[in-house]
Amino acid sequence: MIRESIILNSTTRFLITLLIMFSFYLLLRGHNLPGGGFVGGLVGGASFALYGIAFGVQAARNAVFLSPPQMIGWGLIAALLSGLPALLSNKPFLTGWWYHELSVPIIEKFNTPLLFDIGVYLIVAGVTLNIIFALAEADLQEN
Amino acid sequence: MPFTAFILSVFFFAACAPFIHRALGDRTGKALACVPLVLFAYFASLLPAVSDGSGLLFSIGWVPIIDLDLNFFVDGLSLLFLLIISLIGTLVVLYAQAYLKGSAKLGRFYLALFIFMGAMLGVVSADNILALFVFWELTSISSYLLIGYYHEKENSRKAALQALLVTGTGGIVMLAGLILLGNAVGTYSISEMIAMNAGSLLLESGYYLPVLICLLIGAFTKSAQFPFHFWLPNAMEAPAPVSSFLHSATMVKAGVFLLARLFPILAVDPLWFWIVTPVGAMTLLTGVWLGMGQSDLKKILAYTTVAVLGTLVMLLGIGTELAVKAAMAYLLAHALYKGALFMASGAVDHESGCREVELLSGLRKVMPKTAIGAGLAALSMCGIPLLLGFLGKEYFYKAILEAEIWGMLWLVVAVGGSVLMFALAVTAGIRPYWGRYIETPKHAHDGPWTLWIGPIVLGGLGLALAFIPGWVSNGIIGPATRGVIGDPLLEVAPLVYPKYIDQALLLSILTVILGIVVFLLGKQFRGAKSLYQRLAAVGPEAIYFAKLKGMLATASWQTHLFQHGRLRYYVMTIALFAMALIALAAYPARHLFELPALTPIGIPEMMVCIVIIGATFLAVMVKSRLAAIAALGVVGLGIALLFLIFSAIDLALTQVLVETLAVILFVLAFFRLPKFTTFSKPWTIVRDTLIATVFGIFMGGLALFAYGTNFFDPISSYFAEFSYTEAYGRNVVNVILVDFRAIDTLGELVVLAIAAVGVFALLKLVIKPVDKENK
Repeated sequence: MIRESIILNSTTRFLITLLIMFSFYLLLRGHNLPGGGFVGGLVGGASFALYGIAFGVQAARNAVFLSPPQMIGWGLIAALLSGLPALLSNKPFLTGWWYHELSVPIIEKFNTPLLFDIGVYLIVAGVTLNIIFALAEADLQEN
Repeated sequence: MPFTAFILSVFFFAACAPFIHRALGDRTGKALACVPLVLFAYFASLLPAVSDGSGLLFSIGWVPIIDLDLNFFVDGLSLLFLLIISLIGTLVVLYAQAYLKGSAKLGRFYLALFIFMGAMLGVVSADNILALFVFWELTSISSYLLIGYYHEKENSRKAALQALLVTGTGGIVMLAGLILLGNAVGTYSISEMIAMNAGSLLLESGYYLPVLICLLIGAFTKSAQFPFHFWLPNAMEAPAPVSSFLHSATMVKAGVFLLARLFPILAVDPLWFWIVTPVGAMTLLTGVWLGMGQSDLKKILAYTTVAVLGTLVMLLGIGTELAVKAAMAYLLAHALYKGALFMASGAVDHESGCREVELLSGLRKVMPKTAIGAGLAALSMCGIPLLLGFLGKEYFYKAILEAEIWGMLWLVVAVGGSVLMFALAVTAGIRPYWGRYIETPKHAHDGPWTLWIGPIVLGGLGLALAFIPGWVSNGIIGPATRGVIGDPLLEVAPLVYPKYIDQALLLSILTVILGIVVFLLGKQFRGAKSLYQRLAAVGPEAIYFAKLKGMLATASWQTHLFQHGRLRYYVMTIALFAMALIALAAYPARHLFELPALTPIGIPEMMVCIVIIGATFLAVMVKSRLAAIAALGVVGLGIALLFLIFSAIDLALTQVLVETLAVILFVLAFFRLPKFTTFSKPWTIVRDTLIATVFGIFMGGLALFAYGTNFFDPISSYFAEFSYTEAYGRNVVNVILVDFRAIDTLGELVVLAIAAVGVFALLKLVIKPVDKENK
């Protein structure tokens, strides 16, 4: 189903970096401004889907260093890990933990909810890509 | 704390077992046996602390908000069980290594065995009845894995499932009883219930009868009481180590334990006696009677276990101090001799390749050590003096003689049961080893020490403990009796041998004489196959199979009814049911509804809405699929615009992205769809339109209704107020997702991950044409 298109290919090559950076930006600013792991993950997933449409599924798979199932797995691990520091200080699981000493741009402070949001990002992107890649490959098999 | 750590360490070692097996191979059993051995030593060290009265409480918070704490309560009763479980556990772990030698599944076996052991220790020491229930169910699940160890055999799978279904059903009923009990008396802690004399409280609350019946069903299914006894003999499909552990001393005693544990709370009404004692008596008779018809060593032992469980239940039903003491002594004696006999029968099976009593004879010549252990155990089971079993039976008779109501009946049951039990003990524990040696399928010999150490230790203990009855009764049986009755100050008279010939001793002598006669007639019973078959056809197991069949038929019928595979009817069903449910819930609250003061609709919103409605009509009417998709896209983006107008930027952003991805998915799926055609007849279109319209009006009304009624104060103000001060985030939506409600989000993430796996599996599924010969 995929035909090479010069316009699509060159635009994608140009856009993909911007899109992924934008998705990270959405993820990191999410705690204070519109954005967050869910939206960021959707943008991230969609950008690789675009890459897949332009260059083929295999190329898109190679371009992500994690396979979609791996992304889902690491996402779950990150979300779970973010809940553990609270247990050490005898608070309920998933209570936020903040490091106030240091201020950095965009995310402002290091904190465990951010780690949780990174987990959300990875899972949303992973699920999206998992479904899209599988659909596209099923398409290839039949044709 | 140390107690909690000891109990939980068993689960830790369970998780490690497969790795230990990979590393140590044949030495796994010896290494892992150290765990229960250490536990046994630790439990033994608690004996002095427990024997002088009230129990010990070990506490750790778990889910405090619903009173679910991981508290352990150890008194004499718990400790008796803890010691039995850890002692037999040690021997079984050793034994399993030799019995299942070379099996690749051994690591997994130890995993399940240790989970079972930990759960069983938890059942007998948990203070919170909900925690007790969790451990209780864990024993059911792990026993399913253990009984089904030979999962390539159909009978194994069937027996495992049967045990799980019977005990699991009972467990659910029991849960209802436990919750009812907890609510009725106002606490879930067993130690508190006993301390505050919750029995009378329960009677006053009026929930006594349902609580009693629910809990009894749980206990009776677990402890294989009539009419639920059939699963236990079937579970003999399990390998011998499992039978010696689960089906002699531990799991099947869990029900007896529950009855004993809750004795002070439940045995407060004559009803207790009238239900529990007859069921126990019936079980005793059923067990020995069915056991007489068996010729398989393990089956005989299984039926005698059923009978003993009946005896214990019967004694608890009678419920005098003497009866409780007799039950505890009988329980200890039985755990020792039955564990030994199961291990010995397994060793015989393993070494000779045969379990038929008719074909086994004179094995003492080739398996002397196993024969000694089995012989001691069998003599204890027969109730021969100077063995623990004698004391057990002696006090059993004494307690029955003391029973006031219908004493004669129970006495006949007790003596009859004991006579048959005597005959069965000789058949299973002595006959195979004595007499002329018959060559077996495999040439038998004693095997490695781990295979015969179990019978020797347990059989030997049955002998040794009988020489120190004073110590046994002061150290173990007395505290256990106090624990059952729930009175820490109770003076329990020690167990003593009869000094002169009394009624109980006369009955014991009579039992031995009649027992020998019945043993000599044993072949006649075993020959009467057709009689037993006719009985089985109307027995409770036939009902079980009928019910199982009925359940499967119902499941199949209702699956075909609801899962017909037509998407359009799925949507219709969901819409109709949702409306019915909403109407049902909203109708009683209709008076609360008042039309809220709504802000007037402005020009921009109006225009967007007109576009959305127009696009919706277009999506339904157009004859081209591509146009319909585009129209749906317009609807979605229109909604995003609405979000934007009301400054819900996060929602708008998400909506736009979801629309985009939907387009990508449509594009990918587009070429796989069949040609666009109209199947609907005119009247179905009318019907669907009607349902859709009503559903739309309903949902719109619901939104207004939800907006116009406030049952509770909205929580949004809390989020808005504390979002920055507590969670340091200005984006409230995100703060709710990742902080305030993070555990919900975590749950959703897991669901999402599972859904992705499901979609992936469906898309990658290749249906192979079914091979007709295989079908």
